[in-house]
Amino acid sequence: MIRVATDRDRCIGSGMCVLIAPAVFDQDPDDAVVVLLDESPPETARPAVEQAVDRCPAAVIRLLPEPADRV
Amino acid sequence: MSLPALPLPDEDRQPFGPPPEYAALRTAPRLTRVTCPTGLDAWLVSDYAGVREVLGDGRRFSTRPGQAAHVLAAFRGPDSPVEGGFSQLDGPEHIRIRRNFAPQVSNPRRLAELQPLVEQITDEAVTRMLGSPQPFPLHSQFSTAITTAVIAELIGVPPDRRHLLHEAATALFTTSTTPDGLRRALEPLWAYLYELVATRRARPGDDVLSRMIEHSADSERPLTDAELTQMNGALLIAGFDTTASMLTYGLVCLLNTPGQWAKLCARPELAASAAEELVRYLGVGIGLLRQATEDTAIHGQPIRAGDYVVVAVQSGNRDTALHPDADRFDVTRRPGAHLGFGHGAHACVGQQIARIELTTVLRALAERVPTLRIEVPLHEIEWKRDSVVRGPAELPVAW
Repeated sequence: MIRVATDRDRCIGSGMCVLIAPAVFDQDPDDAVVVLLDESPPETARPAVEQAVDRCPAAVIRLLPEPADRV
Repeated sequence: MSLPALPLPDEDRQPFGPPPEYAALRTAPRLTRVTCPTGLDAWLVSDYAGVREVLGDGRRFSTRPGQAAHVLAAFRGPDSPVEGGFSQLDGPEHIRIRRNFAPQVSNPRRLAELQPLVEQITDEAVTRMLGSPQPFPLHSQFSTAITTAVIAELIGVPPDRRHLLHEAATALFTTSTTPDGLRRALEPLWAYLYELVATRRARPGDDVLSRMIEHSADSERPLTDAELTQMNGALLIAGFDTTASMLTYGLVCLLNTPGQWAKLCARPELAASAAEELVRYLGVGIGLLRQATEDTAIHGQPIRAGDYVVVAVQSGNRDTALHPDADRFDVTRRPGAHLGFGHGAHACVGQQIARIELTTVLRALAERVPTLRIEVPLHEIEWKRDSVVRGPAELPVAW
């Protein structure tokens, strides 16, 4: 499991995350701002989420560190 | 002491850019200070990490002077010739405008609706081309015809008014246009759109403009008529010329890089990665301008508040930090986090539409016109000289 966070205040609704990882991200139909469908997607989603982090123009997606008890 | 000039695209020397000087600039330990064509002096950032850092930080690096004010004479001076221009807004003011654009141009549901329209316009254009005499002027009669039809259909501009956006784009993207000249050239399109806003307020349709009006009516600060005019004008102007030029320029690159066109024709499903790779390889050759809002530093180089910074986007995309073989054009590559659509809050607002158009058209040509060829050798292609949107002025093709 990985942990994902988004900053909706600075999101510009570019749609890149939805293009790359549609199972994890969606957009609000009203303002196109990112909607996190799954805050803790499975490990298999990591490559797509990492790509979404890298390709988000507004840099509003973060992959959070593992909780301390799991490190 | 006079500074070196900003190295600018010169397709006769380097058809697919960037100018050769950037290879050394990119790896130099210090930033270079250059003089730009419009007379302003700027720090030149030409490596991937640096370009990404500057474009990604709108708080430290403002877009207020205009993204191309280093090359467009019309943007010289303190007053923007494009009143209310969203590309010159920073922070929350800019986000407010973006959020009225985004549901119309980058929401997956809206984009799914757009696909059949782009396919239909493309299929008709290919059929028209195949029935035309050869050589056929591809840029004006095919690329520009398709991208104009798509964006005009989206916004609801009828065929007899589409010349207005061509005239406005020519003035806006021509480096020598004066501020007054630009105001005069934009006036007919702006006047028409202002009327169109009033019409759509009274009788909404299913177009982008009507949806923007409806969407913003429910917001805290609804868009004014002037804002709607400016936003839709920007979408129309940027929407057809940049994409059309990328198509035409892209075909020159595809047909002149050994093996690439054959690969695409053998596997037309590569169209999406080919489109993305073209934007990485050819995009924003002219670079983008920012202005520091505070005393800061880039790669250890102190930058004073008010200093201008030019980011060489195309050079950044050729950095080995992005791809070890970044100077190679490869339609099978996954171009990754390239900067061809820009980066940061001002990243191209129409990039998802551009992706659909480029992919659809490349796929259609690969499937239906695999024998496509350019009728002049590379060194005889007539390139646009005085435009910030790079590519051939015209392209005679046959099949």
